[in-house]
Amino acid sequence: MKGWSERTMNFKKIGVIGGGTMGQGISEMLAAKGLDVLLVEETTEKLNHAYSMIETSLDKQLEKWAITKAEKKLILNKIHKVTHFAELGTCDMVIETISEDLNAKKEVFKQLDQVCPSNIILASNTSTLSLTEIAGSTMYPERVIGMHFIYPVAKINLVEIIRGLKTSESTFEETKRFVDEVVDKHGIMVYESPGFVTSRIICLMINEALHVLGEGVATAEDIDDAMRIGYQFQYGPLEMADRFGLDSVLAALERMFREFGELKYRPSYVLKKMVRAGSLGVKTGEGFFKYDKDGDRI
Amino acid sequence: MKVLVINAGSSSLKYQLYDMTDESVLAKGLVERIGMDSSILTHKPTGKEEVTEVSDILEHTTAIRKVLEKLVDKEHGVLASIDEIDAVGHRVVHGGEAFKGSALITVEAKSEIRRLFDLAPLHNPACMMGIQAAEANLPNVPQTVVFDTAFHQTMPEKAYLYAIPKVLYKKHKVRRYGFHGTSHEYVSKTAAEFLERKIEDLKIITCHIGNGASLTAVMDGVSVDTSMGMTPLEGLIMGTRSGDLDPAIVPFVMNKEELTINEVNSMLNKHSGLLAISGSSSDMRDITDGMAEGEPNATLAFEMYEYRLRKYIGSYAAAMNGVDVIVFTAGVGENSAIVREKVCENLTYLGVEIDKELNNIRSGDPRRISTPNSKVEVLVVPTNEELVIARDTLRIVQEMK
Repeated sequence: MKGWSERTMNFKKIGVIGGGTMGQGISEMLAAKGLDVLLVEETTEKLNHAYSMIETSLDKQLEKWAITKAEKKLILNKIHKVTHFAELGTCDMVIETISEDLNAKKEVFKQLDQVCPSNIILASNTSTLSLTEIAGSTMYPERVIGMHFIYPVAKINLVEIIRGLKTSESTFEETKRFVDEVVDKHGIMVYESPGFVTSRIICLMINEALHVLGEGVATAEDIDDAMRIGYQFQYGPLEMADRFGLDSVLAALERMFREFGELKYRPSYVLKKMVRAGSLGVKTGEGFFKYDKDGDRI
Repeated sequence: MKVLVINAGSSSLKYQLYDMTDESVLAKGLVERIGMDSSILTHKPTGKEEVTEVSDILEHTTAIRKVLEKLVDKEHGVLASIDEIDAVGHRVVHGGEAFKGSALITVEAKSEIRRLFDLAPLHNPACMMGIQAAEANLPNVPQTVVFDTAFHQTMPEKAYLYAIPKVLYKKHKVRRYGFHGTSHEYVSKTAAEFLERKIEDLKIITCHIGNGASLTAVMDGVSVDTSMGMTPLEGLIMGTRSGDLDPAIVPFVMNKEELTINEVNSMLNKHSGLLAISGSSSDMRDITDGMAEGEPNATLAFEMYEYRLRKYIGSYAAAMNGVDVIVFTAGVGENSAIVREKVCENLTYLGVEIDKELNNIRSGDPRRISTPNSKVEVLVVPTNEELVIARDTLRIVQEMK
């Protein structure tokens, strides 16, 4: 392919678009691996907030002996705050992590396409949207790929690598190498399909747990214990939903329901009611269970 | 014969160039921050002024190229041409069971070092980068590898096996390897030379106590036991490492504090030892300063450190049924008179008696600190791992011819 360097890419500097939960987690994880990170947010306030959240997360790790003070400083020094896309021109890869809004994502990719040289991989951390559609907004769709990290990024060693219709073989190979060798996580290959592998299966389980709850078969506590203790999940399906954010779970189910047209994806009315009531889980302090501001169960 | 000694870390590279006709150091230096922006090269040619250069050095091959440029530099260099380098010796941390001594680098040797990545995931890959970088820059120069573990390969089975299911040894090579081998070997030999005795006639306990610390029992000139185990975490209390502890603590704490494997590893390797007990520093100088001021945590840290060290000396005296020589070396061993004094103070049952005045003398030479009456010779021998690497390299290259 023209313009594609024969040599393998030397991943040293990575752009991360969006300083939300996933953007923070990905930036911190990449910096901890020794990579330079350009973290992009729309405003200085949002950027500073994201940066201070990363600092808080590192402080928590320091408390748990995971890192030393010197390592914390080293990691923070690797994260550079950026508010203009133009500065991303020197990155060896860019990962987009903004909210799951197709039009917003298309706009980001359109801009990235103009700023980054054509051999630079542009990845999206989308968990449900169509890569092919996102890539459609670019001149070089062959370099657009999905890289779906799972929360909490530092602890979960799995990345879904999603190929869009036009994603080239070399883009996939390089991304896989990035995930396996540079980031040191396990990469699985997924062909584009709503919800990929992880979201599709986990959202269905959560939805089923909500039906079980709605039918009065068992209490929330017991449903979670059943799956957590019985099948070795770290969290039961309801706490999992609380941690993902009930609005995100609802949005994912609705998208899959629309795309597949199958009833099994239709969101449980319990979920809809909770979202309407503003009980979104950990981030609002209450979902199926109650949480303190550190996200621990009360 | 000129030998370049290289010690490669993941983002650093130390070097020393020896003229082996008289074992003199022609130049030494360090490249730091490899792979980050603004790497720093510090070059110190013997008898000339030190130079520091900041530039972008993205990987080890460039680092070695820059080092070679400095070695032949008109102003700061010490060689007329790179061709004067006859051999390169590399320090490699883990030689597993495959390497019982230093070795010439061959295709087989390299694949063996790669197989050992599992046992030394932080160190061996970096050493490998150093080897490949040196090969790329000096393709026709013979290269050797000198291992931290090799000297301890003489340990008998009873000393190196752990009393756990043997299948773990067979499947994963879980056993004790020991480290700092080059240093223990050098100081035990130097001690025998200093005493003008044959090393085979001596029972020696070598205490390599720096930031990392280990003890070795040397009998008949070979290592029969050492305090570090499968990893450098076992044994003595160190700057930030716990040393020996009840292994059941690991799953217990992981469960209570909900720690991951990485977190518990980091806790034991980076947040324990002197640092954990003193609550302020991992550096023995700060600990002894704190103790002098009567600071209780520093005092406790010192006492625990000294106690563990003394218990190990006692156990190695038992292991060898006696001890003729105790050698102190490395940062703390060479410089902390108070550590040596306190340890020896309670070894009188072995007949140890040290001369406080001799103990307080600071010097870069091997020296005796015990009294003429002492039944055990107590020495301070500054270590020189680079020289061992250079000597081994010279020997291996000469044997090739």
